[in-house]
Amino acid sequence: MEALLDFAQGPLFRLTFAIMILGLLRILILDIVGMVEAYRKAGDKSIPWGLTISRTLEWLFPVKRILNHRPIYSIISILFHIGLIITPIFLFAHVRLWEQGVGFGWWTLSPQVADTLTITTIVFGLLLFLGRVGVSRARALSRPQDYLWPVLLIIPFISGYLCANMGVSPAVYQASMLVHVLSGELIFVALPFTKIAHCVLMPFSQLVSVLAWKFPARVDEDVATTLDKKGAPV
Amino acid sequence: MRTTRITEEERAKAFAPTRKPEVTERQQLDVRYHVEDFAVEDRPRRFLEAFAAILRHSNYRFALDHFIRMSAKCSRCSTQCQVYQATGDPEDIPCKRSELLLSVYRRHFTLAGSVRGRILGTGHLTDEKIQEMAESFWNCTACRRCSMECPVGIDHALITHLGRYILSEIGIAPRALVVSTREQLEGKTGNTSAVPVPALVDTLEFLEEDMEEEKHVAIKFPIDKEGAEFVFFPAVSDFLMEAESLMGIAAVFTATGDSWTIGTGYFDGINYGLFYSDRILERVVTKVSDETKRLKGEKVLIGECGHASRSAKYFLPVHCGGKDALPVYNIMEYTYQAWKAGKLKLQPNAIPERVTYHDPCNIARQKWILEQPRELLKAICADYVEMTPNREDNICCGGGGGTVSIDEIRPYRTAVGGKAKADQIRATGAKYIVAPCANCKKQLRELVEDQGIDAEIVGLHDLLYKAIIFPDHMIQPAVPADAEDEDNPAAEPVKPDSAGSADE
Repeated sequence: MEALLDFAQGPLFRLTFAIMILGLLRILILDIVGMVEAYRKAGDKSIPWGLTISRTLEWLFPVKRILNHRPIYSIISILFHIGLIITPIFLFAHVRLWEQGVGFGWWTLSPQVADTLTITTIVFGLLLFLGRVGVSRARALSRPQDYLWPVLLIIPFISGYLCANMGVSPAVYQASMLVHVLSGELIFVALPFTKIAHCVLMPFSQLVSVLAWKFPARVDEDVATTLDKKGAPV
Repeated sequence: MRTTRITEEERAKAFAPTRKPEVTERQQLDVRYHVEDFAVEDRPRRFLEAFAAILRHSNYRFALDHFIRMSAKCSRCSTQCQVYQATGDPEDIPCKRSELLLSVYRRHFTLAGSVRGRILGTGHLTDEKIQEMAESFWNCTACRRCSMECPVGIDHALITHLGRYILSEIGIAPRALVVSTREQLEGKTGNTSAVPVPALVDTLEFLEEDMEEEKHVAIKFPIDKEGAEFVFFPAVSDFLMEAESLMGIAAVFTATGDSWTIGTGYFDGINYGLFYSDRILERVVTKVSDETKRLKGEKVLIGECGHASRSAKYFLPVHCGGKDALPVYNIMEYTYQAWKAGKLKLQPNAIPERVTYHDPCNIARQKWILEQPRELLKAICADYVEMTPNREDNICCGGGGGTVSIDEIRPYRTAVGGKAKADQIRATGAKYIVAPCANCKKQLRELVEDQGIDAEIVGLHDLLYKAIIFPDHMIQPAVPADAEDEDNPAAEPVKPDSAGSADE
């Protein structure tokens, strides 16, 4: 068990973390290249920057949107996202590991705040899962990954909480830490290849839409030629 | 605002088949709108070929890649879709509608998707899927509310737009739109309503006489006047159905003295390309630009029409020179500027009845024109009220995306598409619904009729026409010999029409 844990915390962590970073960089670069290419081809290059940026910010920090529609779901989802992002990055124990590994750390959460965020993330993650199972319109849209993600995302939170707060026996601690590390690593690997890619792509969505409506100029003939329809009646 | 589900009875009526069974069988297509006969063999292959050709020459690909990577399937868009709210059918959830096309893209145009599909032998495009898209994409009113409410920013409206474009390339597009467009681009008259130039000239002369009689002012429709500041393109159907809007616009120009003209070379703002084909969109905006240049006009002016305004404003620059393209204005912008500049005088409280304003999606969603018509209306109406929600969050009339022109689906439009709008109109208790859009006007008239609402649908300029105060020097002296009117109306400024005459 100890050797496995060492492996998971050492080489496997470095590998999966690298896959995540490189995977996210890949889609980010592809996205930006796509946008630049679309802009280059666009017949009209005027971009309504004000509206695009304000709509992007409205969704990155969706305070204005919370109460408009489905307020309970919105609040649950927002709090879930806050816990999910803040806790692992600013957890004291995680930052210590970074300090040991790379030589520098950063600001950390107090244990009480970290614990509260952990609990809320677990509870709201479960509620999101139940919402997906229980609401017919959500069920109608759901793919397997949509059910799996909330469950997978809360596993490291549950196991982490167990390790940090419960006076459990060393064997249970180790097992729980192994689950914590492995589930975290599974998330790292899957993240760039699933819908969680929205963590890096979402800030560009409004711009993507604006650019996509900026068609290339005068392509009627090109499309018609490719489809062998040149001169064909309407 | 949320609307309630339709009843079973309404559902049966709204979704009743409109086509003969033999046509459905011959075309191997079960949809509610009429389609001209098209080649039914090998549809999936031809759909994919069309999709590939469009991807090759367009800017859609990067957006589809972006969307398939991050679609979270949260179902929030369902709260925005008036069609889904009325039907409760999961197939009408915008995200589900988008997935129809995204799944084809993923399976056939991405490496991971095609490898997985080939290994598992699943997900390939079938006739049934095409049938599903043909039904679903035309249930949508293209109002774009869902796109605004997607937390991760998926533009469902763009996806539906693309889906309709691909379908049209294999022959699946509503006949009503195709036939009109054919007349516009290839027919003798060169416009969607097939109005010949002599008939246009006659109509305008008749309206001029009418206005002179009513207002005692020589209000003209300048035709083919070279070098005018504005070249005017209304929805051509306005010449047949919205005379009062046109009269109001002519009256505004007469009062301000600015130069404008209608070209006989081309005078139709309608652009169904926005609804079903980027190729048509391009050809029509090019005609608008060419006619304006032929007349040496400075600016393109679009009448009271949402889709015509959006297609010219946003796609004329795309195809006709980018930042060097002719500037495009909507008539409401012009009238507002003239009024603000003091060139146009309006009679306060000229309209005593309750008035509300319907934002056309194609004008309001991108926050283009929101306050100008409201300020104008508040200046002339004694009792102006808002619908809720409004402005960029407005609810579609239910006939958007070209569906209003498909007469055979009227029961669907007024029972399903327009249900939320009907609720919204009822809640205002307004007598006049101002809808500055030819499509919205037609749909809303049918909607209030079918839903039994006592309200009248008018254009913004219909009401302005009643409230314009012409400068004294424009008002012609009365004919003294046979003047029956002892009050001699010419001696005093023209009064706005009374409320009673507005109802006639």
